[in-house]
Amino acid sequence: MTIFSTDHKVIGKQYIGLSLFAVLIGMALSLVMRYHLVHPDAKVRLFQMLWPDGAPGGQMTPELYLSLMTMHGTIMVFFVLTTAPQSGFGNYFLPLQIGAHDMAFPVLNMLSFWTTALSFLVLMAAFVVEGGAPLSGWTAYPPLSALGKIAGPGQGLGQDLWVLSIALFCVASLMAAINFIATIIELRAPGVGYFDMPLTAWAWFVTALISLFAFAVLLAGGILLLLDRVAGTSFFIPGGLVVSDQIQARSGGSPILFQHLFWFFGHPEVYIAILPGMGVISTVLSVFSGKKVFGYRAMAYAMLAIGGLGFLVWGHHMFISGMSPYSSVAFSVLTLAIGVPSAIKTFNWIATLWGGRIRFTAAMLYALGFVSLFITGGVTGLVLGQPGLDLYFHDTYFVVAHFHLIMGVAAIFAIFAALHYWFPLLYGRFLNETLGKIHFYCTFIGVYAVFVPLHFAGIAGNPRRYPDFKEYEFLKSLMPLHVGVTHAAYSLAAIQLLFLFNYFWSQRKGKLADKNPWGAATREWDHD
Amino acid sequence: MQLAILIAALAGTTVLLFVQPAWWLPEAISAHAKNYDSHLLLTLWVIGVLFVIAQALLAVTVFRFRDRGQQASPVEGNHKLELIWTAVTAVIFIGLAIAGQGIWAGVHLRSSTDALKIEVLAKQFAWSYRYAGPDGAFARTDVKAVDDAGGNPFGVVGGDDIIAPILRVPAGRPVELLLKSRDVIHNFFVRELRIKQDVVPGMTIPLRFTADKPGTYEVPCSELCGLGHHQMRGTLVVMPPEEFDAWLREGAVR
Amino acid sequence: MTNVARTGQTLLIVASSMLFAAFTSAMVVRRAAGTDWVAPSVPVWLWAAALLAIAASCLVAKKFYRSAALCGFALVASQIAFAASLRMGDVAQSFAAVLVTAHAAHALFGACALWWKGERASLFWHFAGALWLYVLWLIGVWA
Repeated sequence: MTIFSTDHKVIGKQYIGLSLFAVLIGMALSLVMRYHLVHPDAKVRLFQMLWPDGAPGGQMTPELYLSLMTMHGTIMVFFVLTTAPQSGFGNYFLPLQIGAHDMAFPVLNMLSFWTTALSFLVLMAAFVVEGGAPLSGWTAYPPLSALGKIAGPGQGLGQDLWVLSIALFCVASLMAAINFIATIIELRAPGVGYFDMPLTAWAWFVTALISLFAFAVLLAGGILLLLDRVAGTSFFIPGGLVVSDQIQARSGGSPILFQHLFWFFGHPEVYIAILPGMGVISTVLSVFSGKKVFGYRAMAYAMLAIGGLGFLVWGHHMFISGMSPYSSVAFSVLTLAIGVPSAIKTFNWIATLWGGRIRFTAAMLYALGFVSLFITGGVTGLVLGQPGLDLYFHDTYFVVAHFHLIMGVAAIFAIFAALHYWFPLLYGRFLNETLGKIHFYCTFIGVYAVFVPLHFAGIAGNPRRYPDFKEYEFLKSLMPLHVGVTHAAYSLAAIQLLFLFNYFWSQRKGKLADKNPWGAATREWDHD
Repeated sequence: MQLAILIAALAGTTVLLFVQPAWWLPEAISAHAKNYDSHLLLTLWVIGVLFVIAQALLAVTVFRFRDRGQQASPVEGNHKLELIWTAVTAVIFIGLAIAGQGIWAGVHLRSSTDALKIEVLAKQFAWSYRYAGPDGAFARTDVKAVDDAGGNPFGVVGGDDIIAPILRVPAGRPVELLLKSRDVIHNFFVRELRIKQDVVPGMTIPLRFTADKPGTYEVPCSELCGLGHHQMRGTLVVMPPEEFDAWLREGAVR
Repeated sequence: MTNVARTGQTLLIVASSMLFAAFTSAMVVRRAAGTDWVAPSVPVWLWAAALLAIAASCLVAKKFYRSAALCGFALVASQIAFAASLRMGDVAQSFAAVLVTAHAAHALFGACALWWKGERASLFWHFAGALWLYVLWLIGVWA
């Protein structure tokens, strides 16, 4: 097994490995962030060692906090949520599920993994260059992200590397999307029609279709942003700007244009992050209730609907961006409409369980937890999807709570479920069930403890992306809430060590599994 | 079974927390803000009910159909049921979307012609405000005339505009802010008024409100604008109309 | 051509089209918004280069893949020469530069693919040729 293998199973594991590494870094960053929010004046030796410029004397500067936050978001969204669910599990299991010998373009597959890995390296390099990592958030809005060093520390080479990393990631994702779609269209075994494919295959199919249309637009936006930074163009930079007391010689660009390009990708991106997980959940719920998925066709169509409608709602990230208020109305109606197929899927999951015979394996617990968390995170979408209400909640912790519950928690639960479920195929052994159950219960309670209170911070008007809350009276009164959330976050992170131990220990010492230990009916279990 | 109880407990705790007065919004100081709060309350009720029903259904299902040696039912679908719940969901969701448009329209799609116009300038990392002064018009600005140290952040050339570091408005009178940025995107947010608007360089964006209650209110910048984003604190002072008029006269003389 | 090769190229065409659609929409928005739009001047020799694209497609249809690839390389050279002459500080020219360079990258990829893979890259080349005609029209006529 060479590291440049073109075997889909090897590549799948490589993607999963990359995501695992990335999530540990991303989680560490979030713990550092939460610590700083409640101890903004603390002097910490570790910070001084890691970031001598960003934390002189061990005290974290605001710019360091913002750069850690930027990297946290970028790493988690791209290298965890857009990687493991689709390219990780999809590469390994899609060909097996549809009876194909490998993906349609194995060499392209290998290239797409290594381009992703390169993209990750380029991103990590931003930490160590002069000025450090960028501070403009994972959304990198210009002019802040386009003006270069004068806009702030990290906005020099760090931001350039960030843009380059994202561009590489776009190329890698497009290669992967082409591979997945071609595989499903051309390499299904005889007798495997579209509506004979398991819902996981449908999820990977729709996700790849979304990626195909979305990533090219992000690439376009990234190219134009990079040109504004290095070539003196004015795609996104208007005229008459005075930055750091210097008049900028640009004119006519539109910052909102970038937002349109970014979110045209950015909203479909969240469906890329969640759909594969939904496919896994449908499977796991079905297997461990001993019933077929309720409304298989509706589930497939719902995924297509989510994928299609997902391209029409990007403006809900921009309700108060300065774009036309009339478009906000249109985007709002479409946004709430897209809640309908998501609700359908939730009902169908519960209906799958109804009348079943439920076995509470660890995989099943995570799947059930996913449904609960999807409901909790999803209902606040009905608040944020209305511009009339969003005009208070935009850029507050209410948004942070909403997207973390769906992406940062539910999607991760789907990954836990997938790992427990497919571990026998990946390693011929089981993940330890007892450790898995303990990990589930602690994590399930922990995520509620961390993210539900953040809604209340949002209701109080707590803005996001603030390195500390010292300047405002109303924020000082929220400190007890933030302290509680931080402590819950430490505990939540600590409990993940249990999963990590289980994951590595079970690969060698886990209980041996036989061919189809769960009694599933899909093809990947028909192996030798 | 423990799972069913846990789901119920988490859902229940969440709902209980939401109805605590401690977590409620800051006071509403305008008619729009009160409308906002009513619609938010309606929405929270709707999602609260949906949340409770969905979590309860999940908990009950998980409890009722736990493995007690029973036979799993072979049901694979039920078109009628699917149609019904799809239709009900669509009506509720889209109904909510339409119901909420009135608030949005009130802020952005209706205007009054006699509003007091005030220019707001956002820059890294402070707010400045400009009033038209006795001549009733805003003076010309030139980017080359910008001089922060000399108290001219707008780059005003000539005229009798009043430049202030604090936003003062008269209570009960419509105000139209003209939001401008000098460098990157910022955001003007007043919690008590329930209004928020990105301030975009290259654009002048109007934001209208009528504040009813005098007082001093914090204005936190709400769009990441750099390392001073969290320190870019503005202040809104709503004054009784006579005090405001007096202040404006004095400002002009100075 | 196998089905897989055709499907793969079609999907690549979709992705490329989205890239150019994004650039086009940015250009449309920008032109409508500003008062500083000065149409870029497209020299005659670049229009002549369009003939190279058409010639290449004809050669592909007649299965002379390497000759077509040579036309393709010549096209890329003309594109790079034109792009280098543009001033990035001028808004219309900067868009032209982006479109032309992006296309050159696609044309280079397509030409290499024709050289080494022959028939299996033909569909993509036809697309690249047609796309070039579109880009020329966009920057030379519409702008």
